[in-house]
Amino acid sequence: MGETATVGDQHLRGGGVMRRLNAFTGVVAGIVAAALGWGISRALMSGPYADDRTISIAMVCWILGFLVGVGAFTGPVRWALGRDLTHADEQFMAGKDQGAFRFFRFTTDHKVIGVQYLVLGMVTFGVGGILALLIRTEAARPTSTFGPATYNAIVGLHGIVMVVATIIMIVGPFGNFVMPIMIGARDMAFPRLNALSFWTLFAAVPVLLSAIFLGGIPTGWSAYAPLADQAPPGMDAFLITIILFVVSSGAGAVNLVTTAVTMRARGMTWNRTPIFVWGVAVTSILGLFVMPAFMASQVLEGLDRTIGTSFYIAARGGSPWLYENLFWLMGHPEVYVILLPAVAAIMEITPVFSRKPLFGFSAAIIGEIGIVTLSVFVWAHHMFTTGWAPALNGPFMLTTELISIPTGLLILVIIGTMWRGRIWTRLPMMFVYAFLWNFIIGGITGIYLSDVPVDYQLHGSLFVTAHFHFTLMGGAMMGALAALCFWFPKMTGRMLDERLGKVSFWITQIGFNITFLAIFYIGLQGEPRRVADYPATFATGNLVATIGAYILAIGMLILLYDVIWSWRHGERATSNPWGAKTLEWQVPTPVPLENFEVLPVVTSDPYGYGEPVQPVAASVATGAGPGSPGLADPGRLTP
Amino acid sequence: MRETQGTAPERRAWWRGHVGHILLIWAGITVAGVLFGLFLPPRLMPQPASGTMHEVRLTVIVFTVAAAPVAALVWGIALYSLVVWRHRSSDVPPEDGPPIRGNTTVQVAWLFVSSFLTLFLLVWGLGELQAISAQASPKPLVVDVVGQQWMWTYAYPQDGGVQSATLVLPVGRSILFRVTSKDVVHSFWIPNMGIKIDANPGVTTEVGVTPDQLGVFNVRCAELCGLYHAYMESAVQVVSGSAFTAWVRANGGRVG
Repeated sequence: MGETATVGDQHLRGGGVMRRLNAFTGVVAGIVAAALGWGISRALMSGPYADDRTISIAMVCWILGFLVGVGAFTGPVRWALGRDLTHADEQFMAGKDQGAFRFFRFTTDHKVIGVQYLVLGMVTFGVGGILALLIRTEAARPTSTFGPATYNAIVGLHGIVMVVATIIMIVGPFGNFVMPIMIGARDMAFPRLNALSFWTLFAAVPVLLSAIFLGGIPTGWSAYAPLADQAPPGMDAFLITIILFVVSSGAGAVNLVTTAVTMRARGMTWNRTPIFVWGVAVTSILGLFVMPAFMASQVLEGLDRTIGTSFYIAARGGSPWLYENLFWLMGHPEVYVILLPAVAAIMEITPVFSRKPLFGFSAAIIGEIGIVTLSVFVWAHHMFTTGWAPALNGPFMLTTELISIPTGLLILVIIGTMWRGRIWTRLPMMFVYAFLWNFIIGGITGIYLSDVPVDYQLHGSLFVTAHFHFTLMGGAMMGALAALCFWFPKMTGRMLDERLGKVSFWITQIGFNITFLAIFYIGLQGEPRRVADYPATFATGNLVATIGAYILAIGMLILLYDVIWSWRHGERATSNPWGAKTLEWQVPTPVPLENFEVLPVVTSDPYGYGEPVQPVAASVATGAGPGSPGLADPGRLTP
Repeated sequence: MRETQGTAPERRAWWRGHVGHILLIWAGITVAGVLFGLFLPPRLMPQPASGTMHEVRLTVIVFTVAAAPVAALVWGIALYSLVVWRHRSSDVPPEDGPPIRGNTTVQVAWLFVSSFLTLFLLVWGLGELQAISAQASPKPLVVDVVGQQWMWTYAYPQDGGVQSATLVLPVGRSILFRVTSKDVVHSFWIPNMGIKIDANPGVTTEVGVTPDQLGVFNVRCAELCGLYHAYMESAVQVVSGSAFTAWVRANGGRVG
């Protein structure tokens, strides 16, 4: 320890600036840069595009300023100066011996980044949830309360905030915190890239929220052109957010895939790799393929808005169908980017709480890969009614319906694992049951929508809204909540209070089902999506949905309180409270900086419940705590 | 799924064990789901005013009925596991469950059944599309529909170019809507007739329907199109052939 400190002191003289940068200096630098960018472009620009250009430039300056100020470029700058980071610098960047301060810095430790994602995700869900309540408040009665302008702005913002939140909700917190430990690694493959992807997302959130003050996003989250061309500068905030989000999630995905492929412990062959790692890896690959289409769609939109191109403007030779194709090329695979890690987490959790091996490991993998492959061939089922290519409606109906086969396999894996198990209904397992209930409803209603004639009727109605809330909220988010309750003890070192959690669980489930079953009802009746006002025919269903939404909100608030309270005052967690067999439960809680004192060697998969011999890991560090020689150990194994 | 390391001395018939009980629960949930599918959707959906809408309603019923046994199986097993296989304590279960790592018969059967169901959905859907296009006549009455923020306007090119802000259609005649937009993307939707097609600027899209009920129905915009999207609503009047002719003449057109 003493030796490390001396080395650090020597480098304090050379690299002192790096040690003074944090989120606060980032925000200050970002605001200064944004103000400069805004002022200069304000002075120089005029003409019809001036407002959009000024605001876009200010936003880009904010991002760059923030990243510089938070210390994201320290490594490259030092490298360019010919003085690469020393070991002590790396240790500082990893947040060694910094207490809570490391959560507010450009820290490279994957565990810190996982917690940062968790908190950012919860904040984002909070904002999206408040917006959802505003939507339901507006729709409680016929006649508009807030007026259509405000309502439209809220709907678009709710949509995109929730899309961002749900995409990061599992791969962000648990992919970062848990996955590297699960595979027996000391960190991610690219720790600095990992921090960069988090802080890029962090910087994108204020840009997105600034849309509230710039006229909102009155286009829905799908931001169809040419409606988006008419929209106020809030639209610029939207598209810059998307571009940043794709950069951030792309960097994150590259990192997760590389880590899963190259950094698994010795002996962890693919058929011994936990299913959650598989889920995160295949999802990241899918994201890498499809998210760039989203970025492309928004770059073209940005060009249309700021320099007068006409990619989507029909009057000047563009086509709205181009936008729709680019958007849905990302848009449908994206729902599987949300869903797959959730199902993977559920498949990881079910064996632990059924005390049985995973039923059909290969079926689970075939299911995941099948979904990933098929999901890139289904996008035009969002375009059955656009008139883009009526002759392709049949083929896209086929591919869409085919995807129910691999999805069904995953369901078989889950119920097969429960079969004759010792069902231990702790909170994570309760969410697995909630998932089965909600996701079956969401999946079946998806089959109606895959059918072309039925889609002619239901497309653009609230039926679609209810369908994807049942799959993404009732399905995927239950997976995320199961994962949160399951890994909470490992991430925070404390147990989540289960009594309060169960109260919240029931209130949330009841509220959710009331809300969205009522929305199915009004959708079948024929109420369109995204309307600020509606005829009296739909009044009953809407009122019920609003009451359900408030119940749901109460349940979520209880859960939030539970998480915050347990994080601070909860019972201290042992290293393996669930008796689970994956590697993250074999290391101490709290997890030491480099996870493993000695890297483990894996001799079987982690699902050997009920089997006579269970040698998961031949050698796993058990006693490493603060002050252990693990970090300064010159002979430490590097993969 | 058979007992692999059973402790029971005598072997019970399979239908008296877990499988039999689950089959009972499955049958119960399936019957409930089928009844639900037969009675609820037809009462919720708009009353059909065209053959297309009849097809749509029938499909929703058929798909609900077909989905009922699938949902019943998953929920049945989940419910049964909660009641029968539950470990009633908050401590880690002292002993593990049986180490079943898979069952080829079950997995193959599952794949086979789900593939068969998917094939059924596809064939049904294609048959339905065929049935709907068979309703269209080769010589339809053409109606040009123009969407703009936030209203629909209609023209009847075969009837001397009558222009109208309300849609009037003769009953029992095949109609072809040619739809376009002046500004942003709208979507032309007649909920009672089960048809919807986007109105895109710069291009014309087409959808056909044959109204088979007299009456006044809603026309809605189904694609968010800006500030007053919620109010982009109007009516379609389906009238008798003679009343339609009279309406065309009264609006200065001639019946083609």
